[in-house]
Parts: sequence; C-alpha cells; structure tokens
Amino acid sequence: MKNLNRCQKLIWLMLIVFLIGMIILFIKIQFEASYYIVNSNSKSLGLVYDRYKDVIFDNDADYDSQYEWGHFRDVGNLIGDASGQTTNTLVARNSEKLNNYSFTQGTNFSDGQASIYTTLDHDANQKVYNAFGSKDGCAIAYNYKTGEILVCVSKPSVDPVIGYDDLAEGSLLCKAFIKTVPGSTQKVSTLIAAVENYGVDKVDSLEYVCNGIYTNISGDDIKCHNLNGHGTENITEAFANSCNTYFAQLVEDSSFGLNSIIKTFKSLGYTINDEESSTFLINGIKVQTASTTLTDTTDFNTQWGCIGQGETMISPCQLMMWQSAIANKSGKSTYPYLIDHVVNVNGKEYDQAITEYTDSLFSTATAEKVYDIMVSNGVNNYSYSIPNYTLGIKSGTAQVENGDKENSLLVGFDTNEEHPIAFCILIEDKNDGNLTTESIANVILNSLD
Amino acid sequence: MATQSKIKVHYFWLTVLILMSHVAMLGVVFFKGNYETLMYPIILSAFVILSDIVYSGIIKSRKQSVYIVDYMMLFILNMSIIFQSCFGEVSFSYKQAILSILALICCEIGCKVALNYEKLEKKKTYIYILAGIIILSIVFLTGSRSMWIDLGFITIQPSEFLKPVYVILCATTLSMQHRRKTILKRFKYVPDNIILLILTVIIFALQWWCRDLGSLPTFMAVAFCAFISRICYPETKFSKKNIIILCVIGVIGVVCALIFAPSYVQDRLNVDIWADQSGSGYQQCKALIAIAEGGWFGKGAGYGTLHNVAAYDTDIVFSAICEEWGFFIGIMAVLSIVIMLCTSLINTPRSYYHSTLVAGVVAVFIAQMSLNIFGSCNLIPFTGVTIPFISMGGSSMLSSGLLVGFLKASQIYEK
Repeated sequence: MKNLNRCQKLIWLMLIVFLIGMIILFIKIQFEASYYIVNSNSKSLGLVYDRYKDVIFDNDADYDSQYEWGHFRDVGNLIGDASGQTTNTLVARNSEKLNNYSFTQGTNFSDGQASIYTTLDHDANQKVYNAFGSKDGCAIAYNYKTGEILVCVSKPSVDPVIGYDDLAEGSLLCKAFIKTVPGSTQKVSTLIAAVENYGVDKVDSLEYVCNGIYTNISGDDIKCHNLNGHGTENITEAFANSCNTYFAQLVEDSSFGLNSIIKTFKSLGYTINDEESSTFLINGIKVQTASTTLTDTTDFNTQWGCIGQGETMISPCQLMMWQSAIANKSGKSTYPYLIDHVVNVNGKEYDQAITEYTDSLFSTATAEKVYDIMVSNGVNNYSYSIPNYTLGIKSGTAQVENGDKENSLLVGFDTNEEHPIAFCILIEDKNDGNLTTESIANVILNSLD
Repeated sequence: MATQSKIKVHYFWLTVLILMSHVAMLGVVFFKGNYETLMYPIILSAFVILSDIVYSGIIKSRKQSVYIVDYMMLFILNMSIIFQSCFGEVSFSYKQAILSILALICCEIGCKVALNYEKLEKKKTYIYILAGIIILSIVFLTGSRSMWIDLGFITIQPSEFLKPVYVILCATTLSMQHRRKTILKRFKYVPDNIILLILTVIIFALQWWCRDLGSLPTFMAVAFCAFISRICYPETKFSKKNIIILCVIGVIGVVCALIFAPSYVQDRLNVDIWADQSGSGYQQCKALIAIAEGGWFGKGAGYGTLHNVAAYDTDIVFSAICEEWGFFIGIMAVLSIVIMLCTSLINTPRSYYHSTLVAGVVAVFIAQMSLNIFGSCNLIPFTGVTIPFISMGGSSMLSSGLLVGFLKASQIYEK
C-alpha cells in the first residue's frame, strides 16, 4: 500500500500544480482584464476633466449639441484620444484608468464613473491658445510650489472630435515635451554652472569686455547680437544684455574649466556629447531630456552650445522645471504633473497626486544668486512689457533651420508667493508677424490670476 | 488487492443532479441565448436530456461496482455539446454529439482493455505492434512534417491515439522490474524498460520532427510518471540521493533545451503578444480580450464574438466558453474534469499497475489542459492542443475516451 500511496502522491502533485496554475491565471485575469479591454473594440471610456470640472476629453463627444465648436482643440495634442492617432498624450498613456469596465459585469457595464481629474485650467489654456493667433509654438506654465501643470498649449493642434484629416505638420505633437534649440535661455544653465563653480561672491567680480565680435582661442568668431559691443560687463549685466561674447569668454576662462560645466549640466539633467538621449515621464507622457555638446571650452561648438545655439536642445517643459528650482530658491525642481486624481469605475477616488521634487540640481546659494540676477533682469527690462508682476525672466532667440528662421523663447517665474507660476513660451518663426513672447506671458499670468 | 468503493451514490439522485445542471444551462440558452428559430434549442435540449436519461439507464442496468466516472463523463460530454452548440449563435453541434457517443464507446473499450492486467500483459507484443503502426503512420501517411492524415472526408491526428497506447505501455511493462539482466557482468538492466526507453526516444524525436510542440510535453509528463513509478516500484532499490541527482540533471536538461532550442521555438517562447496583436499574438490577444469582455457571468449563450477567430472551438475554447458563459462557468467546466480525475484519489486503484495507469491518464489530461488554458492565456507559450472532451476534435475525443476508460478500469474491482 505504501507504493500505491506514492502514485497517489504523484497524482496529487499534478493536480495541485494545475490548480496553482489556475489560481495564477485567476489573479492574472483579475489584474489585467482592464488592460485587455483597452485593446478591445467594445471599450467604453470615461471623461477627463480640468481643475474646474470642465470636460477636456469625451470619447463620444460631438459638436452638434454637447460642446462648443473647437472646445477640445487647445488640448488636442496634450490630452489626445483613444483612437491610436496620438501615442504620447494623456489619454493614450492612461486609457486603462479611464476604462469603464469591471470584471464582475464584463462589458455589460453601462454607468461607470471612471474619470481623470487633471490640474489643467481649460479656460486659461484656451485663452493662451487663441493668443497665439496664426502663429505656431507652445506655452507651458505650472505652479512651481505644487507642480500642477495649469497651461500647456502646442500649436498647431488637432481637434480629435473633428478628425485627423489635412493636419498641419506637428499637429499631433505637444511641443512642450519635445526638445528644441533654447537660444539664450540656455544662458540660465551656463549662469548656474558659473555660480556653482566660482561661488556667489566671486562670480560678481568676473568681468569681460564685449566688442561685438570675439575671436576665441581656436580662431573662430563669436558674434554678439549687438555688434557695437556692450563694453565691460559683469555677469549680471551680461545676463541682462544676453551678451554672447561675454558668455564665450566666461566658458573659455581656464579657471572655469570643462569638467565644472559638465558636472553642473549633468546635475541639471543634460545628456552630454554622445550619451544616449533619454526621456522622463509626466503621468506616462514622455518628455525629452536636454542634450548638448561639451568637448573643449576653447572650441566654437562648446561655446556656442553654452550660449544656446548649435547642438544644444532642451524641451520647454524642462526649461520651465529649472525655473522652479530657482523660484523656490532650493535648487530642487518641482516635479510637474497633470493628473490630480483618478476616479475608478465605481466612483472611488485614487492616485491622488502629491508634490515631488527632483534631487538637488544646484546649491541653494546658487539658486538665490540666480534668482536675484533673473529678477533684476525682469524688473529692469520687462516691467513695461509685462506690467503688474515682479518676474524673474530670461528671453532667447534660437536659430533654427540653419539660421533661416528664428524662434523666440521666454522662460521665467512670478516672484509673488500667492501666484507661484513658472512658465516657458516658444514662438516659432518670430520674424514673421508681430506676436511677442511677452504678450503670451501676459495672457498666461492674467488668466491664471 | 480489490478495494471496496468508498463512495455510495444513489443512481437516481445522481441522474437528477446531472439533469438539473444541464437543464439549468439549457434554460440559459432558451431565455438568454442568441437564436433565430426555436428549432435548434429544442433539438439541443432533446438530445441532452434524452442522452442523460438513456445513459443513466445504461449505467443502472450494468451494476458496476463504481460508476462515478461514467456520470462525470456524461456530465462533461453533454456540457461540452451545449458549449459547442452555442458559439456565435445557438445551433446544434451534430459533430460533437456523435463524437460524444463514440467517446462513451471508447471509454467502454478502454475499460475492458485495461481491466485485467494479466490478460493485457500476455498481449503486450500486440500493443508494441500497435504503437509501431501508429508511429509509422505518422511518418508515412501524414503530410510533410505535419500531424494530420487527410482522408478527404475526415482528418485524423494519429499522435492523439499514441497517447493511450503509450500510457498503457508504461503501465503494462511495470511488473517486469524484477526481471533484471546483467550486461558486462556488472550493469543490471530491465529489458522492458530499455524497449520503452527506445520507444519514448522515438516518440519524442517524432514530435520534434513534426513540430508538434503541443503533444511533446504531454508525452514527457507521461514518461515522467512512468519513470517515477519505476523508481518507487517495490523491487527496485533507488536511493533519495539518486532521485535528487536525476532531478538536477532534469532541470539542467530543460534549461539547456530552452537555451539551445531552435529559433522557431525561441520565437514562441519570447512573444510579446500585445506588441504583435495582428500577427503572432492575434489568437491569444483575442482570447484574453474575450475573457475580459465576458467577465464573471458572460455575455450570454450565442453572443460571443470569438467564433470569428481561428481555432475558437479547439485551441482557445476556454476563452470562447468564458466569453459566452463567464469566467465562473469556464473554471467550473475545467474543475469538473479535475474532479473526474480526483475520483481515483477516493476510489483508490486496486493495484500498482492500475495506479501507474491512472498517473499516466492524469498526466495526459493535466498536461493538455495546462497547455491549452495557460497557453491561450499567455502564461506559457501557445501550442495547439485540445482540452479533453471540451474542445472539438475527433481524434482527441476518442483518445480521451480511451484514457477515461483506463481511469474507470482502475476503480472497478472484478467480481
């Protein structure tokens, strides 16, 4: 009988292995069923709301009765839809959370409450979108204390309700997350590197002469936008003047050194030289990280890169995040987010957003110094064009398409603690038309007041 | 070694129980099913209820010592007919009905064959010849490197019939363990084991050659059971140390096989089905989506959409059932087969030969169900095997019938 029992044990073993498999299958199905349904034709998706419960995504939307014409256009390439036309959008990346599905009832579920509540201010977003008029570009703004993204516009955009026919190039991309040539807004990073290297006290004593054109050690000419020259400047004046020759000499100075620049830039999150380009995520949406070339401080490309032209590329979103590290005077960026909370099919809230910060990008002393320099620039040069706000500001002009076109950029933050907005604005091909980044900044700040 | 049946179940109440479950299913078909005319549900109900009553009558008239396996067979087969008749739209699956009757006949044949060990052992040579014929038919009669013999009006899968033959060979040669011979004055061996080993190698090679990766694990499971029962045989001396060494070798062998497997096997092992939903992951994606769409309680008989996908009634039948009847009923259907196998744990086999036989049967059933269900649900690589009795498929139905016959034989004691 003992041997008989051994065979029985074998049978038990096989049955138990099978039943364990069935249990694993059961758990797998319970956890993944929602994902399977997202891939099914019979899915039913919930709504996405802005911060004031205005609908910014409705899978069954039509303009005949429900919504005003063009209601979704300003967020078309940010919020997107579930059609698969866009992949790097909030809905495409979070469609499982919107899934009105419960395994208990299968697809018979009709009145699911699944929805995503975002931090966006749709009204402000529409105003900013309209402010662009016929121009293309993007604008992103967030609360630098909490990380809530309030405005995110990218033109040209798409209206998912109208459809995807005859779209202009770039309509499906939210440009705030795509890296672009930063122009002189890059000087903020170079300034941070210089303050980190020299220290807060010594950096003020760095003076160089601008004659309009500077011939560097390698024999290449760096031109300033003011060809008459700015004369002798300190770093605060050079930053306000956005002086190219000053910054070329600053980078070239042997007491600064390549390693020091690389160290700070890496800390800021740049991928340098041939490093593989990377991305980071905001609620599943991919944001490209900054990249630049730093080979030799006497080399034209390295200097040109530190000035913000050539091979340096940064996404407007990341430019905005660095502003938060300065505005908070902490050296730590506030991590931006779009989803405030999610409601599941049964009406239960979950995934409540919390404010998170990056690791320290630079010291608090540096943050305070750069804060002062930027605010000084804002107060002295922008209080007329952007009245009523005390801002820290840096503008930039980026040469694109081999210098044929110029993009205009503006990064900055409001110093008012009650109105903690950091922003980045990009207007493409600025010379064609009269729209300025300052006017867009006015719209953003006013509509978020 | 005759063991008395430990369970006494009343014929009448068992029949009522089975009838009630089938009537409940038919009620769902009538009231919630998707059909255009009432004709099909009526034919289906008539067949199921009539066959329940008739077969119960047959069981009653036969006075077996144990009849739980017969009832379980009846329950599963008629349930399967209802499932198969409802995919897409309620109809009546004549094919499944005829195959079910043939499966019951095969069950009787299997039982008769396996009942008496002494008689069977005398005819062992014929079993070897039968295995040889099947193997040769796979080599010469099937299409190029395929598993099917196409007779025009019907296709036969000979490897299915090899399973019961192999199971019975593994059990029949067991008692020869004490007849050892010595070679080179030192190495002891059992001639029957050597023959079986050669046969096993041939079968494995054949499955590999046919790329029948579904049947290969099934035969491996049976071979494993046969091996274990030889280790445990009273006459053999096998230490725990040897068992551990063998297990380690086995694990290393499997790992090596996985690493050095040909590219078409590797491809199957590393498939991200969701990345290739319209290509190689198509069936599995559709199968998983169908389970999710069905939820706990299903869409209703005949309302499924999986019948548009190839092999909906065989390889991904579990998902098709879950879609229409719900995950709960899907699990219950599978568990009913498990319960049928479990009967051998209650009505313990009356000899070591029979318990080896049962282990082989359980191995085939469990391996096939695992490969089918876990494969279609992407827990393991997807291979095209059937769930015994539930899937459509003649060869599978008949060979499963024979195997259940063996199961039944192990529980009946001869008067």
